[in-house]
Amino acid sequence: MQVGTVLFIIAVPLLNKIGYHGVNGTFYSLSIGELNIVDPALALQTILLTKSIYLPLILAIVLPILLAMFLGKVFCSWMCPYNFLAEFTEKFRKLIKPVEKQKNTNPSPQYYWIIFGIILVLLMITGIPVITLISMPGLITSQIADGILYNVVGIEILLIALLLILEVFVAPRFWCKYACPVGATLSLVKTKYALKIKYSAKSCAECKEIKENPCNQVCPLQLNPKSVKIYPYCNNCFECITTCNDVGCRALKITFQPLKTNKP
Amino acid sequence: MWDNWLNKLADLRDPLRPPGAVEEDEFLQKCIRCRKCEEVCPFESIKSAHGEWGLKMGSPIIHPRDTPCYLCEDFPCIESCPTEALEPIKSKNDVKMGIAVIDKTLCFAYNDILCRACFERCPIHREAITMKDELYPVVDENKCVGCGICEYVCPTEQPAITIISSHKVGG
Repeated sequence: MQVGTVLFIIAVPLLNKIGYHGVNGTFYSLSIGELNIVDPALALQTILLTKSIYLPLILAIVLPILLAMFLGKVFCSWMCPYNFLAEFTEKFRKLIKPVEKQKNTNPSPQYYWIIFGIILVLLMITGIPVITLISMPGLITSQIADGILYNVVGIEILLIALLLILEVFVAPRFWCKYACPVGATLSLVKTKYALKIKYSAKSCAECKEIKENPCNQVCPLQLNPKSVKIYPYCNNCFECITTCNDVGCRALKITFQPLKTNKP
Repeated sequence: MWDNWLNKLADLRDPLRPPGAVEEDEFLQKCIRCRKCEEVCPFESIKSAHGEWGLKMGSPIIHPRDTPCYLCEDFPCIESCPTEALEPIKSKNDVKMGIAVIDKTLCFAYNDILCRACFERCPIHREAITMKDELYPVVDENKCVGCGICEYVCPTEQPAITIISSHKVGG
């Protein structure tokens, strides 16, 4: 899926360079034939900055919003090129700094919304399109487009590199987990019927004999899937479910049902 | 406000925007830097601004001396804009990207060397640029759309006719 995305974001500018404009744009905004798609975070930014609503812009965010409403932040795990890069840097980090046992816990959701709130307030006060300037999927795709169309890349590439370096040496996967406004907007519209990961303690084998909590170890965002409190951080990559099934256990499942929050 | 101040840090020249661009302040807020206008431009006239433009980076810019705007019949750039940062335009005469200004000290025609390059190639032909006494090019500020073709074709080393962008920060 993610390899497909990488090929796609390279193919689009290439096709446009040779004169085919049926598909065009970046992950800021993409056109496929007559279908226009805009990143909901940017639509939110435009509405906040201009304090007006432009109908075609609203229509363009319907598809990604529907996706997020019922499937959660799957854009992040299935399509985002930054997630793809970060998974590589994570492998690199583990190579230079091997961690024998990862003990993941779930941070409280407030942090996520506070950071997103700060970004929005900053945007309104300064009038600077902050989300555009820090949107990793947009920056990466547009830099690839600039590189292919005009053989130049901007200093935006330094910001991308800086974040990746910080993720390796300081705070692993902090961007996707806490800071990304694109993911936060998608989390904002998620309904309680959205696709989610459900843990049932009854069928959990505890996995003591094999390795301590393989589902916990494998989470790319260092969350603990054995809890209902993985949202809004979790981006539904389902690594934990795959691992759980691999050890022959079915304690982690996907569901569309709302979760009961009083469960541990 | 300090977004202006930050922008001014990098202001070398006010950028020439694609046709239909709204006022600069509004443009910078509406433009999401999606590169669609760049990609659809058949002449590769529209390029994205880079770091030297400060917070304008990623926004579409036309460098007329490299490639001017050829004022397409159907304006694919405007068509592609998802946020109305580029507003629809009826005809090429309604475009207002900037105004051409002639530096008479550089211009061949004003220095007694016969030259009609800008006049001949102006797409608002015989209206935006006229030849006074059949010898000296004169720009009509009301008719000029600022496409930059004159700046592109000007034969002097440093162009004697340049476009002053109508996209200034704060107005």
